[in-house]
Amino acid sequence: MKRWIAILAAIAIAAVLPLLLSPTGYWIRVLTFTLLFAAMAQVWNIIGGLANQTSLGHAAFFGIGAYTSTILVLKFGISPWIGMFAGGFLGGIAALIIAVPTMRLQGHYFALATLAFGEVMRVIANVWTSLTGGPVGLSVPFVPPSIAAYSFKQLLPHAYIALIALIIVTFIFEAIRRSAMGYRLRAIKENPAAAEVIGIDTTKVKLQTAVISGVLMAMLGTLYAQVAVFFDPDTVFSAASISIRVALIAILGGVGTAIGPILGALFIIPVEELMNDLFSSGAAGLSQLIFGVILIAVILWRPRGFITVFDSLMARFSNKARS
Amino acid sequence: MGGVYAVISIGLTLVYGVMGIVNFAQAEFLMIGMFVSWFAWAYLGLDPVLAAPLSFAVAFGIGWLVQGQLIARVLKAPSVAQIFLTVGLLIVIENGSLLLFGSQFRSVTTSYQTMSLSLGALFISVPYLIAFGMSLACGLALWWFMRTSWFGRAMRATAQNPMAAQLMGIDTALMYKIAFALGVGLTAFGGAVILPYVTVFPGVGGQFVVLMFTVVVLGGLGSVAGAVVGGLAVGVIQALSSLFFPIQLQNLILFIVFIFVLAVRPQGLVGASR
Amino acid sequence: MTILDVRGISRRFGGLQALSDVTFSVPKGQIVGLIGPNGAGKTTFFSTLVGLIRPDSGSIQLDGTSVVGQKPHKVAALGMTKTFQNVALFAESSVLDNVLTAGLLRHDVETARREALICLDRVGLKSVAHKLAGNLSFPERARVELARALCTGPKVLLLDEVMAALNPVEMQEIMDLIRSLRDDGITLLVVEHHMRAIMTICDRILVLNFGRLLADGTPEQVANDPVVVEAYLGRSMEAHK
Ligand SMILES: Nc1ncnc2c1ncn2[C@@H]1O[C@H](COP(=O)(O)OP(=O)(O)O)[C@@H](O)[C@H]1O
Ligand SMILES: [Mg+2]
Repeated sequence: MKRWIAILAAIAIAAVLPLLLSPTGYWIRVLTFTLLFAAMAQVWNIIGGLANQTSLGHAAFFGIGAYTSTILVLKFGISPWIGMFAGGFLGGIAALIIAVPTMRLQGHYFALATLAFGEVMRVIANVWTSLTGGPVGLSVPFVPPSIAAYSFKQLLPHAYIALIALIIVTFIFEAIRRSAMGYRLRAIKENPAAAEVIGIDTTKVKLQTAVISGVLMAMLGTLYAQVAVFFDPDTVFSAASISIRVALIAILGGVGTAIGPILGALFIIPVEELMNDLFSSGAAGLSQLIFGVILIAVILWRPRGFITVFDSLMARFSNKARS
Repeated sequence: MGGVYAVISIGLTLVYGVMGIVNFAQAEFLMIGMFVSWFAWAYLGLDPVLAAPLSFAVAFGIGWLVQGQLIARVLKAPSVAQIFLTVGLLIVIENGSLLLFGSQFRSVTTSYQTMSLSLGALFISVPYLIAFGMSLACGLALWWFMRTSWFGRAMRATAQNPMAAQLMGIDTALMYKIAFALGVGLTAFGGAVILPYVTVFPGVGGQFVVLMFTVVVLGGLGSVAGAVVGGLAVGVIQALSSLFFPIQLQNLILFIVFIFVLAVRPQGLVGASR
Repeated sequence: MTILDVRGISRRFGGLQALSDVTFSVPKGQIVGLIGPNGAGKTTFFSTLVGLIRPDSGSIQLDGTSVVGQKPHKVAALGMTKTFQNVALFAESSVLDNVLTAGLLRHDVETARREALICLDRVGLKSVAHKLAGNLSFPERARVELARALCTGPKVLLLDEVMAALNPVEMQEIMDLIRSLRDDGITLLVVEHHMRAIMTICDRILVLNFGRLLADGTPEQVANDPVVVEAYLGRSMEAHK
């Protein structure tokens, strides 16, 4: 009961917050990207947290989503809303293609294979110029603003769409976690041989997870394309700024928990922005350097993520309240 | 090129073989090695190839600290923490050097840079040949060290069973430090010997990272002999694909070989299963 | 009626013939003991039955269906599962969740939860249902193994040393449980080192030595079989040398 109140309160705050920010300003942009990256990290969390497969290749699906919807608008004038589902479909297929050969891999091996897959997609997008425009990138064409055409004058609607996306993927994550599939995934994570012996089709469950995560990630790619308006292969298929970043957000926040990716994004995205702002005049690389230091510090200090800080604070708080 | 690939990758495989950690930051030590060698050339007038031991020493020192202070703490942590610690290291080293040295490209000029030997119809460029020779020497030295010295045996014991090694009186924490320092040192050494024909800048590691991983995975993660074979194999794959494909597609082929090998034979093509 | 029919099962590990030409069949509702010295191949045999290890040759029929080459989850769905000798629980999950997960093979989450509680009750662990499996004592964990296997709703249940390290009272409880499972129509194969326990509960005993089936008969027949006695004595004398 208390949980539900907390959740509703959080949603309410999130729903009001965009209205308080200047609709054309800088902070609404930061907020939109924070929400979008939280949603991406949540989607990563489905495979990275529930199935415990550290994917470093989620940019592959993300980029597929961004390109699919944008190419469909450009070439056929199809609304990005439909393009989003087309992208999701292709993202699911891509996830299947990479999941089949890599499913048996664990830990570092899986991370390496998925990292390489993301790079494969980046190279393909760079080379297949006739379809993607190659390294030059694509611009989402301007169409008269309307909800049906997924086109808006301001960022405000994008912020709300990102918020709704975050809420939806968080519910999906939580629903999977509590469902039979969630139990099966935990079993596979903790002991795959025992899981098989008690009747879990480990192959099928892992494939399902990979596909769900791939589909959703691709759909978020469309959202990104619509906000960013312009992108190129090295942005949307980037290992560093997409694949590793979303994994990082989930990990810093607390992997395998619904709140983790949200905490992680709330921390990382604004901090990154802040540092870029503060040091943009200074030497190149400083903000990234600090970011790396923070990453190392958090991993050494809280290997399970911020959620543990949160938890221990809550515990201390409720202890005090009781005494 | 194959020989050089082998040396820079041996470092990676050594770290994995002994500690079970894939060091995503390994290629950054290649960059460090290149920078050390460049500065030795620019300010001390040392030939980059002769500066290679210096590169080795600097990277060895950094590796020693990194292992002792950072990586030692996540040896028992879940693989996610290990992966992201070394990713963090990668970010720090790359951007640290960007901060220190700026983003410009630096290269050296040597007397033998443009020379090449002709062997019948085959032309072999001298810097490549020197790099190959140095790498071979270095690889042999390591092999000999691991085979015959007490350290080598202690290290292999640690790799196979850290608990038992500890009971036998081996300081495993020390072994890890040596292994890591040695591993990154070797990679830095490789960085120095390729300096005559590769320009150095803070992002140079990124150009080699896939290559290194492909070499190591081809040979079997953790197998030194495998890394040598893998290095040669990647050299050959590259040479062959450069005959037929444009440069971007060469990388693509490398990636696909990489995924394929991981999927089909994670223990490597030559390595025995661990 | 035969529920399990095993013909000519063999399996090599490198130079070691872990199983050679094992053949027998079990009628429904029997309790069959499988004994033999350490390293005889008992665990390997169980793993082969459930599909974790693929035999080099031979056939296995479960209730008329061939299961050789099937994945373990298929075999479990067909009605045969095993416990792990060196316990393979989901250590970070609660005891209840361990067992519940097995129940999902045939039920939805809520029904599986009810089934799991019944299974835990039967092995006497209902009181620790909400503890983390990893925090239990070894004998308790072995019983969770049993409850988990039971919750898949098996026709044939393979128990690999579930009584190891139990005290006599607990052992008696497990023996009673095994009998009651048999009364429910479950066929059981039981690997156990405790001879008295095996001799009392089993209708029939198979003796495995160096991967070979040495004897197959009632407890009395096996106990008086000179070949078996020699195999055991020979082995133990070697050990004392
Ligand atoms: N995966 C495996 N690879 C190689 N040898 C194995 C493997 N599993 C079991 N063995 C060997 O097979 C023999 C039988 O082992 P096991 O079935 O565990 O015997 P038991 O359960 O009767 O004590 C032993 O010698 C063991 O070392
Ligand atoms: Mg056994």
